Amino acid sequence: MPPSTPLEPEVFAAIAHPVRRQILDLLRQDERHVNAIAENFGVSRPAISQHLRILLDSGLVTERRDGRHRQYRLQADRLSEVYDWLSHYERFWTKKLAALDNYLKENE
Amino acid sequence: MTDSYVNETYLPHPPKRVWDAITDSAALEKWLMPNTFKPVMGHEFTFQTEPVLPYFDGVVHCRVTEIEPPHRLAYTWVGGPISTFVTYRLDAEGEGTRLRFEHGGFDLTDPGQQTAFEAMSKGWKDKMETKFHEVVEELAASASRG
Repeated sequence: MPPSTPLEPEVFAAIAHPVRRQILDLLRQDERHVNAIAENFGVSRPAISQHLRILLDSGLVTERRDGRHRQYRLQADRLSEVYDWLSHYERFWTKKLAALDNYLKENE
Repeated sequence: MTDSYVNETYLPHPPKRVWDAITDSAALEKWLMPNTFKPVMGHEFTFQTEPVLPYFDGVVHCRVTEIEPPHRLAYTWVGGPISTFVTYRLDAEGEGTRLRFEHGGFDLTDPGQQTAFEAMSKGWKDKMETKFHEVVEELAASASRG
């Protein structure tokens, strides 16, 4: 289970990096172990492990032991929270300034 | 390093009308958000919107830092992880108004401000490699299937 209180700066830091976004994208299909993740990227396995550590600390990803491997899994709840937060800002002023334009039209 | 969202637009209304729309609390509520704004230099006020927990309690804290009717208005804009400012500049153009809007001061070394800035300026869903929305829906569907 993810921690009940997310560590906010860690979540933002986790999603700010393009490689980590791609890892999240990859994990949406299924849980994977580190080699299966690393083979999709042109960066070293230690680099991928470091990205996974940051994702684990953020609570966006959890790990479990499976024999010799650790399997990494996406945490939908945590991702959903940060998605909602970002959606609030999505093109915020573009929409609001269009609303200002409409307001002026309707209140001639 | 900081960055700004800038939106420059022509509005077919004289500056005084646009000024009223951005400085009247009831008008602001109609097109922006419920608020306690007053057009007074140094006035501290809030915008109130839906909380997005745990990241944002729904309150934007502001203070008027510049007011020059009907041409310039600026206030600070602090909410959740965002510590920024907004400015409106109005110039008469023909029978209308050229509005230059800026939401600036996003600290791009701060991941929270960087991600919010990306969402605000470029559209997060377009920018993201991961289509968060789809991911969340898929996972919710698979969770409900057990």
